Amino acid sequence: MNVHIDARVGASHISYLRAKLPHAVLEENWQTPNQVTVTVKLNTLPEAVATLYYGREGWLSVVVCNDERPINDTFGLYYVLSMEGEDRCHVIVHAAVPSSNEEFPSVTPKVPACVWGEREIRDMYGLRPIGLPDERRLVLPDDWPDDLYPLRKDAMDYRLRPPPTSDKENYQFRNDAEGETTVVPLGPLHITSDEPGHFRLFVDGEDIIDADYRMFYVHRGMEKLAETRMGYNEVTFLADRVCGICGYAHSVAYASSIENALGIVVPQRAHAIRSIMLETERLHSHMLNLGLVCQFTGFDSGFMQFFRAREKAMTLAELLTGGRKTYGINLIGGVRRDVLAEQRSRTLALVAELRAEVQRLFEILLATPNFGPRVKGVGILDRKIARDYSPVGPVVRGSGYRRDTRVDHAFAGYGSVDVDINTGDGCDVQSRTMIRAAEIFDSLSLIEQLLDSTPTGPILNEDFVYKPYKFALGFTEAPRGEDIHWSMTGDNQKLYRWRCRASTYANWPVLRYMLRGNTVSDAPLIVGSIDPCYSCCDRMTVVDVRKETSRTIPYKEMERYCRERTDSPLK
Amino acid sequence: MLKLLKEVFRQGDATVKYPFAPYEVEKDFRGRPEHVAENCIACAACTSACPANALSMETDLAAGTRTWSISYGRCIFCARCEEVCPTQAIRLTTDFELAVANKADLTSQAVFKLADCVCCGEPFAPAKEIAYVTALIEANSGTNGASTGAEKSSEAERRRRLLSTCPACKRANDLQQIAQIAHRQEKNR
Repeated sequence: MNVHIDARVGASHISYLRAKLPHAVLEENWQTPNQVTVTVKLNTLPEAVATLYYGREGWLSVVVCNDERPINDTFGLYYVLSMEGEDRCHVIVHAAVPSSNEEFPSVTPKVPACVWGEREIRDMYGLRPIGLPDERRLVLPDDWPDDLYPLRKDAMDYRLRPPPTSDKENYQFRNDAEGETTVVPLGPLHITSDEPGHFRLFVDGEDIIDADYRMFYVHRGMEKLAETRMGYNEVTFLADRVCGICGYAHSVAYASSIENALGIVVPQRAHAIRSIMLETERLHSHMLNLGLVCQFTGFDSGFMQFFRAREKAMTLAELLTGGRKTYGINLIGGVRRDVLAEQRSRTLALVAELRAEVQRLFEILLATPNFGPRVKGVGILDRKIARDYSPVGPVVRGSGYRRDTRVDHAFAGYGSVDVDINTGDGCDVQSRTMIRAAEIFDSLSLIEQLLDSTPTGPILNEDFVYKPYKFALGFTEAPRGEDIHWSMTGDNQKLYRWRCRASTYANWPVLRYMLRGNTVSDAPLIVGSIDPCYSCCDRMTVVDVRKETSRTIPYKEMERYCRERTDSPLK
Repeated sequence: MLKLLKEVFRQGDATVKYPFAPYEVEKDFRGRPEHVAENCIACAACTSACPANALSMETDLAAGTRTWSISYGRCIFCARCEEVCPTQAIRLTTDFELAVANKADLTSQAVFKLADCVCCGEPFAPAKEIAYVTALIEANSGTNGASTGAEKSSEAERRRRLLSTCPACKRANDLQQIAQIAHRQEKNR
């Protein structure tokens, strides 16, 4: 059952674009009633994106590149904008780069949020963004061959591991500090984060003057894997494994991208079940983060208590899906497991228990004298920086912006329930923590609402026709913010292109500004406040540039310093 | 502080006795898949549904066998195999204790005999799959126009023969039949 599209949202944005840039727009196509791809001339791309971004309350979701040479001899660039003012929808600005001239004008000077996306395009496709202020590699390691672009269709097999071209790490960390600073590397790897990263803090005494970091040490090449080895229906299970904490959000985002592209009608009951599971995932993820905040502020008993209570959220997932963490219940067209009457009543009981317990623990946390002063005013994310870089989730909501995909672009079962957006105006670690705590209670009430209003009926629609070269977006609000997937089907029951952007990807670029002006002892707390599943980095090295000495401080010592803030290991 | 102490006393012990006492999981927990070779017809539906390539089929024409195998090291416990299996030969259990001392113990196999084609004598499909399909068609086919018992049994015999013929021989037979029909029409003209 594939649907035909009648209603169209977003025409006002296109007319605005046409009025501002008279000859830029070539054509526009609606993939779904709320998604429009507008093709612009390549040389007007930066103006077109900037016009919609600042002129129509657009936020950058993701930058996608697609090697379309076998189809139309161009590389397709897609700048996905989430329009959150009037006429809410997704506008995808598309421009074609001819294969004869592999460069395009960079959008980053006008819209800073594009910086990571364009750096990644440079790595993965070898297209040169002209005018990009930051031309360092983002995704590829330092020892990767210069002329091998992994995501080009003619480049390489997904199993190829080219021999390293150099033994040296030649990545240049950036330091905008004016005076002399000491380098404090934090990392190199946080083994338990979903993105292990290496942080360089440039400090003057105890104060962080600037910070830079390098990610993608464990890039798994999932997009290439999905495009070459797996069928489109199997990729839902791969998407489940994008993240170890919020994998189900990715699975839903992927499945809905294909459902949107092919116009598949998902049964209402399946939508509701997806939302219930997404909220269950948010529960355990936020409780994990609250536990970590306790730990970082030196309140270890609180950490233990939150993790004990979190076990109930894990039991809830096990009860409803058969898996504690990796739910694996999505297929294209719906879900594979229904919520039965017995499961429903047990879920409601668990939800009630959780609400009472989290309420008690949260009161204890707030009454801890250490907590307030330790998180207030720390890790400030300036509203202007937030607007320029399009961060997502509690990070952007903590700076006062009402951004939540569940409300802005109601997906799955969220159209039929009341979702509150919690915002804070402190712009600091405290705001973000409070938002997460409030969202735990919202999730509990959403699960109850969804269970009450779940319509009966089928949970899976398998009656659809697979069509080649169709593309669309899929999106979810994961615990850390918006997850967005752009998928294009191929002609072989596989994906032609799968672009998967996790929420933390959008939050990393602003971390630099959040670290500036704080003290070294606050660094783990600030990094923890964007919730990058950060729990442990093995050690850090202190380099004193003036004395030319270096010594290694164990992570335990750094963590102790973050908690106690006495006997600085830097002295 | 007092509140915290109260909470700690209220909760009591949070830890469980595992591994010294068994750990109870939910009854629908997705654990180690269990294969019942008696029910399996080696149709390979599970191997094409498996997203992780944990299940595989290998055909050995010389030995006339097809080997089904599962690698518990690759399995992601998604239960797609259970969903697609036509004979309920594979079920997920609630067993989550998968550690082995020897890597080879993570693989489990079942060998099935291939049936020989009634025309050319070459092995072409698992004998159990052919038996399953024959039984299925037999159970579902009506009289199909045939009235007498003799006609019925000859029709059934023809069907059995057809199902036991390999695709290559079927094509050759079809061609011969078409040629005969064409020849007859030529004569009649």
